[in-house]
Amino acid sequence: MKARSAFSIQKDVIFAIFIREMVTRFSSYTFGNIWLVLEPLLMMILFMVIFGARGRGAYGFVEAPVFIFSAFLTFRLLWNYTMKQNFSARNGTQGLLEYRQVRLFDVFLARSIIEGALFIVVGLIIAMGLVWLGYDPWPSDLLLVLAYCLVLWLFAASFGMLGCMLGSFAREIEKFISLMTMPLMFLSAVFFPMSIIPPQYWKYLTWNPLLHAMELIREAWFSTYTSPVADLQYLLAFTLIFMALAMSTYRLSWRRVLAR
Amino acid sequence: MIRFDNVSKYYPTRYGPKYVLRDLNIEIPDDRDIAILGANGAGKSTMLRLLGGIDFPTSGKIKSDRFISWPLALASGMQGKLTGRENVRFICRIHGVNANKETEEFVKDFSELGDSFELPLNSYSSGMRSKYSFAVSMGFDFDTYLIDEILSVGDAGFRRKCEAAITNKRANANIILVSHNMDVLKRQCNAAILLAYGRADFYESVDQAIFRYQNL
Repeated sequence: MKARSAFSIQKDVIFAIFIREMVTRFSSYTFGNIWLVLEPLLMMILFMVIFGARGRGAYGFVEAPVFIFSAFLTFRLLWNYTMKQNFSARNGTQGLLEYRQVRLFDVFLARSIIEGALFIVVGLIIAMGLVWLGYDPWPSDLLLVLAYCLVLWLFAASFGMLGCMLGSFAREIEKFISLMTMPLMFLSAVFFPMSIIPPQYWKYLTWNPLLHAMELIREAWFSTYTSPVADLQYLLAFTLIFMALAMSTYRLSWRRVLAR
Repeated sequence: MIRFDNVSKYYPTRYGPKYVLRDLNIEIPDDRDIAILGANGAGKSTMLRLLGGIDFPTSGKIKSDRFISWPLALASGMQGKLTGRENVRFICRIHGVNANKETEEFVKDFSELGDSFELPLNSYSSGMRSKYSFAVSMGFDFDTYLIDEILSVGDAGFRRKCEAAITNKRANANIILVSHNMDVLKRQCNAAILLAYGRADFYESVDQAIFRYQNL
């Protein structure tokens, strides 16, 4: 056995967990790993049919399926899945922590990377499907969309990490977060743009940092849409605060969490 | 050398802290194979977990410059949904071992599992599992192996094979062994740590430690 640097140990460990998660997540299903892509794909198709069936150009500036695609892809896959996977990082990974080089943080990182990668893969597959059906799903400013997605991804990962750490001290947090996910979808401007909401309600809804992420992504995605409320600084501040909270909670309590 | 500096370990319970080890100061020399003796709940497994770096002392430090294995207990650290081969591959990856084909074949041969090696661990019987876990640990070169009771399971033939394997490794490694089987301890170890009354004492002679343990 040869000595490795801390960085190369972490790299090896994250790669190993990455593979292990990919192999085990759907290993008991008949179709196996196809579900990795199939599950979000089916969900997206369902949403696009349900909401998109109301007709083309529902919001004036874009076709309904493309609108649904841009919003649900980012909200469900990037926010919801990344948050949930980080949040439940302690489930089923106890065995991993029997090795001294594996820490809970590596599980967080590996799971966040998996969800980020799935987001891109599923997004590409659906976008190609939409192109085939004659829509134009490509973002008008791809780089800006990806940058906003990166912020949202960091926010989701930090939020889930913080929830996981706090949840191991009080399990009530789990209940609270799973109750919160459904209302959040209505409050985050996922299936409507903020421009159709009466201005007197803006000041309440804009407390929610996810709404800003959704609006910013929408703005960069569709050149014809300008969000009346989107505020990048607000989102960035929230992301930084949650990252700092998550990291410091982890650093202060990871040994205590081990014993639980 | 592995050194315990004022190591204390307690677990918080609803009745307040429950101390398992208190102010431990021990030096484990490099050339010794250690038997850890103690009644149930005396802290034997906790000590192995501390040595394995997967649990941490509440206060104090453990210093070591050796490559120490993970604590080898029955079903530790294995993912039941993965096959025997995939689990070995995972352990190779986290240890930075690139020659995982060789290690896989070694484990397959040593564990005598045959085709079951390609099946998920959940389908193994407990005997197969113990053979497998032991074989996995023998596939890696550590300086110190932490072995928790694993030698007392499995059939007689395999047990002999395990002891032979340990004897082979002895040339450039040593073991720290927890067992309730005194014969195994006497054969395999040449020093002992006795955990009793919240203290740990180092004995140069296993026989002496066993005598003390049996007359606690």
